[in-house]
Amino acid sequence: MSSSLSPVSDKVPELKHDDHSHNLALDTLRGIAILGLLVISIREFGGFTNNQQNFFGLGPHGGNYKLAYIISFLFEGKMTALLAMVFGAGMLVFMQKKEYPAPLAAPDAYIRHQVWLIIFGVFNAFVLLWPGDILFRFGVMGILLFAFWRMRTRGLLIAAILCTLVYCGKQYWNYADDRGDHKKYSVVIGLEKKFKQDSTDRAKKDSINIEKYTPAQIKLNDSLAKKKDTLTRKQADEKGKWEGITKGLKYDSAAKATENKAMRINSYTKTWNHLLQRSQTKESWWLYQVGIWEMASLMFLGMFLLGIGFFNHGFSSSKYIITAVITLGIGFALAWFRLHYSNLKLFDYGNYIDMQAFPPNQFLPIENILFATGYASLFLLLLRIKWLNWLWQAIAALGRLALTSYIIQTILCTFFFYGYGFGYFGRLTQLQLYFTAAEIWLVQIVFAIFWLRYYSMGPLEWLWRCMVYRRWLPWKIKRTDSPAT
Amino acid sequence: MDQHNSSGEQLTAKPVATADRIKSIDTIRGVALLGILMMNIPGFGINWDFWYNITHAPHSGKDYYTFATVMVFFEGTMRGLFSMLFGAGMVLFMLNKKDPPLGPTVAEYYYRRLLWLVLFGLFNAFVLLWEGDILFFYGLCGMILFPFRKLKPQWLLVIGLVCIAFTMLKSNIDYQESRDKRNMYNEAVSAVKEKKKLTPEQAAAKTEWTEMEKRQKPDTFYTNENQRKMRSGYPTIFTYFIPQNVGGEVWYMYNGLWDMLCMMFIGMALFLWGFFSNKLRTSTYVMWMLIGYGIGIPVGWMIVDQGYMGAATWGEYVDRWRVGHMVFAEFRRLPLTIGHASLIMLIFRSRLVPGLMKALSNVGQMAFTNYLMQSIICTFFFYGYGWGNYNRLYFHQLYYVVGSVWIFQLLFSSIWLRYFRFGPFEWLWRSLTYWKKQPMRL
Repeated sequence: MSSSLSPVSDKVPELKHDDHSHNLALDTLRGIAILGLLVISIREFGGFTNNQQNFFGLGPHGGNYKLAYIISFLFEGKMTALLAMVFGAGMLVFMQKKEYPAPLAAPDAYIRHQVWLIIFGVFNAFVLLWPGDILFRFGVMGILLFAFWRMRTRGLLIAAILCTLVYCGKQYWNYADDRGDHKKYSVVIGLEKKFKQDSTDRAKKDSINIEKYTPAQIKLNDSLAKKKDTLTRKQADEKGKWEGITKGLKYDSAAKATENKAMRINSYTKTWNHLLQRSQTKESWWLYQVGIWEMASLMFLGMFLLGIGFFNHGFSSSKYIITAVITLGIGFALAWFRLHYSNLKLFDYGNYIDMQAFPPNQFLPIENILFATGYASLFLLLLRIKWLNWLWQAIAALGRLALTSYIIQTILCTFFFYGYGFGYFGRLTQLQLYFTAAEIWLVQIVFAIFWLRYYSMGPLEWLWRCMVYRRWLPWKIKRTDSPAT
Repeated sequence: MDQHNSSGEQLTAKPVATADRIKSIDTIRGVALLGILMMNIPGFGINWDFWYNITHAPHSGKDYYTFATVMVFFEGTMRGLFSMLFGAGMVLFMLNKKDPPLGPTVAEYYYRRLLWLVLFGLFNAFVLLWEGDILFFYGLCGMILFPFRKLKPQWLLVIGLVCIAFTMLKSNIDYQESRDKRNMYNEAVSAVKEKKKLTPEQAAAKTEWTEMEKRQKPDTFYTNENQRKMRSGYPTIFTYFIPQNVGGEVWYMYNGLWDMLCMMFIGMALFLWGFFSNKLRTSTYVMWMLIGYGIGIPVGWMIVDQGYMGAATWGEYVDRWRVGHMVFAEFRRLPLTIGHASLIMLIFRSRLVPGLMKALSNVGQMAFTNYLMQSIICTFFFYGYGWGNYNRLYFHQLYYVVGSVWIFQLLFSSIWLRYFRFGPFEWLWRSLTYWKKQPMRL
């Protein structure tokens, strides 16, 4: 490639900071999403695991439960959704730019960006040890959706709806599988009860004329009875399968202790080994089964919204208000139902399956879409409030440093919580975890603002571009043209 | 690659005309396409315990010789050739097309094409019910190859070799893990002999290893179940295959792409050097054939004779070898694949059997159709909703089926291409890619 790059070196100055499309709307939303992500990921960083959440869900619903509930209600899945939406819109902005800043065709630049994003994701997951990494999936999805960018606005909406429907369908399908497993399990349990009844009946019968038998005969009888009364392998498998499903819905205090111990070991390699499987499952199984549909529906939606002028002031304030009210209204209802039914499921999944036609997360895909759209319209509306400008500038600065900020979150959190750092894993209460998140927010915003005073882009953004365009790009802002603040 | 640029700039992105096709590439592709069935046929037609039964039987009999021949000479190489040509085809697709001033760029058509390929792969796996589908993965690999297409061939070769080194490293890490587990097990066993009390770790290691060895032996409970299912109707097999296909696609997508990518990168390099387009000297091809076979066949024999059949149990094998033979699987595959390719090029060049070469190039030109047709024919022959011959043939008898399919495809392709420009599925694929009905008749 180097040979094809060299003749156009005079074009490089165009790659200055100002080509970094200062789309305030997209930057702000990206910044909000990056900040919001931490609220949920700090749980996994800090050891507020699903197991712990089950503990609060199953116990008396006190303050801890309510806090977890509210945070899940407002943030869980919604911030990734918002980020995916902005990513989709950003992709269109990138491809629609008439002039490209570098001597590289747009498709090449675009695909290379995604490939490097994947590499950053692998680094984040396997070197910085964050199994919840999202960069990998964004990169993969960016490549998969490349061929769609020229699609008409209506087509994008249809694509978004189709992906959402597939995702909802998959939720139902999984539930139907569980239901099948539960049915088989019930049959096996019934059989086992019958076995027990049979053997007590036999014992009763035997006891009537027990003196007739020699001890050897009794022993033989017993062993025969036992043989008859065991489950076949298939039945045992079926029983075990359901038990495996419900195991994840119980609170396991031993698991908590083991997890805490494993995460507090002062050894990078041991933590690496401990988290390896989790990261791999996320990047393979989860992405294949869920991630593709979740991400695709939201990215298509983002592209569609860009097409109808949602992100670039094409909407009047009243339109934003109406959108926000409708989407958040329905979204809140769906979220309330989901969490309500999740609780029922948590208490007794077998009973839930007998009673309910749909799984609790049946409409989660729609809920996430509604929340993301609602949040976006809400913030786009607030962006118009002049006296809040300082805040949006600050958050937009963070949005421009999205990759850097995201990686910094990983670095700070792993170092604070993992055993090879300070080892605070599982030592903080839920409330303390959210305070930590807020402090990280502050650090990040301040860092972003100051960084952008001296440099045109974030350090990792700069590295990313250098990798894509295969040359060292200028990134310092010259004192003379730095904006006065 | 000047000869391609001379074919003229096209104003809009269009499919390649028949005249532009490179005959030698089609011929190799034809060989690879037919050859791949040799490795796929057990998957279509026989319970997986055949592997255990043959490797644990005396080294004689038709089954053994067939197995050894296929494993030593062909295993992995036909897929390797296919991957190499896929890489070459990717360069070819992008090379002689210029972006039109308006409308979608060539890159977009390229990605659309691959997305359709991924969908065809899903169709092949979930609807035609072929578990060993590769189209899905090829589609995904192609998306990764795109940014590498303008690299110099030396660099492509280096990247390919790095991928190979990576797979070997991964394979060795897995093997050493297995060895560690075995050592723990051995310690536990000797502790039992000395009547010492086992530590919890030792006890766990002991049960883990015993369980693992038990799982490696074929279990009639599962093999009978499998046979029963495979001889049932379409809905049963359809539901039976969903979790298997999902598991396979997830695993391969994440762990197995290297195996395809390395060959694709090397294939791109070889293509750019003119290897597949019959541009090198005869002596070069002879040299590569000798080197390829010289390394590939002996190492392949070692893997089969010592690796697969050298030890009765995995434990015994692990005790004996510090490094597993399978670590060298890729080391064998690359030279052997190049050896095959050189041999085909030499025969192509010698004009010894022009009729056969022509027929093979026809098969290669319709490779996509023929690949899917192999799924259709074989599933129909073996599965319950067709003739239900699943697990009714001996291992060596499967190759009679292979031979028949070959003859059929050679004839069919030649006849079809007399009347049409492309194979039916090629036509469908193109029409979908360009979202416009393509001309089909000659």
